[in-house]
Amino acid sequence: MQRRTFIQTALYTVAIGRLLGSCKPVKKIPGKILGASAKIGHLLRDGYKGEVRSVIQKKIVIIGGGVSGLSAARELTRNGISDFILLDLEEKAGGNAAYGVNNSSAYPLGAHYIPTPNNDLKEYLQFLQECNVIIGYDDQNLPQYNELYLCFDSQERLFINGRWQEGLIPHYGVPSTDIEQLNRFLRLMDNFRNQKGTDEKDAFAIPVCNSSKDEIFTALDEITMSEWMDKNGFNSEYLRWYVNYCCRDDFGTTYQKASAWAGIHYFAGRKGKGANAHHSDVITWPEGNGFLVNALKQKTGSNIQCDALAVKIKSLDEGLVVEYLDTKTNTLHRIEAEQCIVAVPQFVAARLLQDDKRKKLVHEKCKYVPWLVANLQLPSLYEGKGVELSWDNVIYNSNSLGYVDATHQLLQQNTLVKNLTYYLPLTNGDCSSARKDASNKTHAQWCELVLADLEKVHPGIRESVKEINIMLWGHAMMQPLPGIIHGNLLPQLAASINERIHFAHADIAGISIFEEAFYQGIAAARKIIQHSPISNT
Amino acid sequence: MMQRKENGAQWLLLTAVFVIATCGLIYELVAGTLASYLLGDSVTQFSTIIGVYLFSMGIGSFLSRYFDKNLLAWFIKIELLVGVIGGFSAAILFVTFPMAASFRVILYALVTLTGILVGLEIPLLMRILQNKVEFKELVSRVFTFDYIGALLASLIFPLLLVPHLGLIRTSLFFGIMNVAVGWYLANHFKKELKQAAILKFSAIIILLLELVAFVFSENIMNYSETMNYNDKVVYAVSTPYQRIVITRNKRELRLFLNGNLQFSSADEYRYHEALVHPALSSVSNLKSVLVLGGGDGLAVREILKYKSVEKIILVDLDPAMTKIFSSQEMLRKINNNSLLNKKCTIENTDAFTWLKTNKEKFDAVVVDFPDPSNFSIGKLYSTIFYQLLKKAIATGGIAVIQSTSPYVAPKSFWCIDTTIQSSGLYTKAYHNMVPSFGEWGYIMAMPETEHHWFSKLPGDMKFINAGTMQQMFVFPEDMKAHEPLKINKLNNQALVNYFEEEWDKYQDM
Repeated sequence: MQRRTFIQTALYTVAIGRLLGSCKPVKKIPGKILGASAKIGHLLRDGYKGEVRSVIQKKIVIIGGGVSGLSAARELTRNGISDFILLDLEEKAGGNAAYGVNNSSAYPLGAHYIPTPNNDLKEYLQFLQECNVIIGYDDQNLPQYNELYLCFDSQERLFINGRWQEGLIPHYGVPSTDIEQLNRFLRLMDNFRNQKGTDEKDAFAIPVCNSSKDEIFTALDEITMSEWMDKNGFNSEYLRWYVNYCCRDDFGTTYQKASAWAGIHYFAGRKGKGANAHHSDVITWPEGNGFLVNALKQKTGSNIQCDALAVKIKSLDEGLVVEYLDTKTNTLHRIEAEQCIVAVPQFVAARLLQDDKRKKLVHEKCKYVPWLVANLQLPSLYEGKGVELSWDNVIYNSNSLGYVDATHQLLQQNTLVKNLTYYLPLTNGDCSSARKDASNKTHAQWCELVLADLEKVHPGIRESVKEINIMLWGHAMMQPLPGIIHGNLLPQLAASINERIHFAHADIAGISIFEEAFYQGIAAARKIIQHSPISNT
Repeated sequence: MMQRKENGAQWLLLTAVFVIATCGLIYELVAGTLASYLLGDSVTQFSTIIGVYLFSMGIGSFLSRYFDKNLLAWFIKIELLVGVIGGFSAAILFVTFPMAASFRVILYALVTLTGILVGLEIPLLMRILQNKVEFKELVSRVFTFDYIGALLASLIFPLLLVPHLGLIRTSLFFGIMNVAVGWYLANHFKKELKQAAILKFSAIIILLLELVAFVFSENIMNYSETMNYNDKVVYAVSTPYQRIVITRNKRELRLFLNGNLQFSSADEYRYHEALVHPALSSVSNLKSVLVLGGGDGLAVREILKYKSVEKIILVDLDPAMTKIFSSQEMLRKINNNSLLNKKCTIENTDAFTWLKTNKEKFDAVVVDFPDPSNFSIGKLYSTIFYQLLKKAIATGGIAVIQSTSPYVAPKSFWCIDTTIQSSGLYTKAYHNMVPSFGEWGYIMAMPETEHHWFSKLPGDMKFINAGTMQQMFVFPEDMKAHEPLKINKLNNQALVNYFEEEWDKYQDM
């Protein structure tokens, strides 16, 4: 009773505040728009011309310091190769796993967790053991995960029918017929998870390229997820919301556009099992995947050159040249090398190679979705009924994916000021107009958009928020549209050129997840280690 | 005609005397009651406050000789001042009480000031009226009204005001009466006063302030804890981490954190002796002790009974806790000034993060956290926490962990035991009866099993002796779990779930 009176009072206060607020100018919220150096990047699009100031020689150049580039660098280093340079246009390498830090905690600006790894990924598990995410193996040879990094309870909650329920699969206030459909769907996904093709390969594997090529499965890549659901009689609104949420979460693509194969892979690809973790568990850090990126960088740090925008790759008869712009001094430099790993998205690769045919192909087929990631620093949060603040907090039927509490994995009891990281894939309309739209928005407009969404579940958040930093990813990930994963486009784009230029990026894998990028990097590095004269000496 | 007007003025001023007398006594009663609430020992509080108050009135009467001109204006000014100081006195005392050491100074300063001002009023009034009324009549009337006012105040205060208005609003209400009289006089005699407008204006401002405070205090009352506790709330403060509330009744003083009872002064010795002594009396070479939680200093009080102890580090998150328990007189009496002891170092930081960076080893560790009622406290009962704890225990050392009630919550209690064991420590569980809590449980955790059990018990104990020591380790059937229990980890928070399930049954009672 006391509590209710208090909440009512709080609500009235907020309501009155709002009334008063309507006659006052809107509160200006501190913060800024960060971006993956869109302006610098566009120098490449617009064609950069200048005089070369210096020339150096390196055996290998890696272009791009995201997960795939860093993974390639790590693989080279592990094999005793140190004569390479990695160019990254940002101030700090890390790609989509970028993060920020304020006085409360670190917080992700992009990718922020990994699911329990599949147990057949030897190199990946080894890497995780290197960085103390796996602390050993039990007597059944199951990895023992570091409990500091396994997501603490309570992991997920969903605001639905006026209440926070536990978990993201809708159940609170959901009619029993819908629950039955949800269960039928999840059982079907369990079946897919365990299914193998006639080629003895997993129907849905990670990396994607290890999946069975049986037509019964690859045919799923020809239709969209929503078409597949229609065919299978999955018409529950709740289920369709959930599947759409999942597709947007992992692929930045609505289920009306994503390939059914990709949509099912979201559920069926994950089969990891640890001594203390289940395939539905996640591993996370306040800084998100920045933790893993730092681990990847650990031994290769000195080979990384940041603020370096590669502008050109040119194949020569003997070797190749890479030119890059030092964005700090605005000077052009040239590297003469034998091998190159292009660990950037294909739309950038095509421009670097100055290959018009490739550019046209990428432009037509590859769609890169823009994402917004907003970090809100705030001291207090009005909470509604139900489960308490969790790591992942999702609002049913919101346009966003909800938010993650970056302070959740801190050991300390109480974090007085929280960092909430809000995710919004800009999936309305086509990618390029969404991107144009996004780049025209002001900080205040983004804040308004984020707050209007969160206000539904946290009245008063507008008054309590201290700072909002907006991270805009113009080309966050390539969409797994039908025909991408199992079509002939990706092999075409991924093929090495003259055995000198190799490609490594999650977009040529088809889906943008950590493991794909990690293995892309390793595969590219191994091509060099196996085929180049370097390894023969 | 003239005569009637004079008469009217006279009666008006006498009414003022009546109001002033009532108000004056009310302020005195408010101060006395508040001091008894907050400091205890009502006989001493009331007699010293009445004494100081009457004496200050004497000072006031003496000072009245220095007022020569504009007596009416002075009278009104004093009226307003009494209205402000007396009116806000209860609020001021409640707010300043947490400032510990200076509280008595503030209390007696307020009483003195009010006394002086009230003491000034009657002599001034008599002089104002001396030319209008015959002296014999004057003295008779003034003092009659004065004493009637006093009687009224002493009757309505305990019967009507305290039960219905509470102390803060009682004093504000009479402040408002005081100021209203001042305003009315200023208005009525505006022709005889030079600065009538200024006086009236000040009166209205003060009146408004007190009205706002009056209304606001009611708002606070709506969700203040006074309703939730059976006893008088003598101290309440919200820190960024928790709500600290101290209540007192005739028998005992109780500490609540976020509404949960932490101790009652009547029987806390049973809890703290049981928490500290089984472990500490079994450590052969006891020099350094770590206390995690326990910002009330009561565990430290027990630890200090071991003369061999050279160093105690107390890690408690909330600086407000350790501050009041090292400065508040009544609380220092309970913990025997333990937090001020030179051997004791206080670190106000998160115990988990402190333990993570700690490199030192301790001969004994006393873990006295609140019950695992939510996820954030649940972390402090997890495998990772106990693994870190293990690293902080020296060879031959023992840690002890308060582990909720094995009677109410056997699964929670034994879940903590299971979790500690899974972190590579041996355990020894025990329990005792603490009337305020019920049956309470503790678990000793140690790297080795061999110890000279209870060989170094200090003498001055109220609960523990050789017999009770043996008895505490016997668990009846209804305090056992009777099922395999989960290990509490950061990523399953099994304990919080057990705890909720088991304590929920007791919530609705």
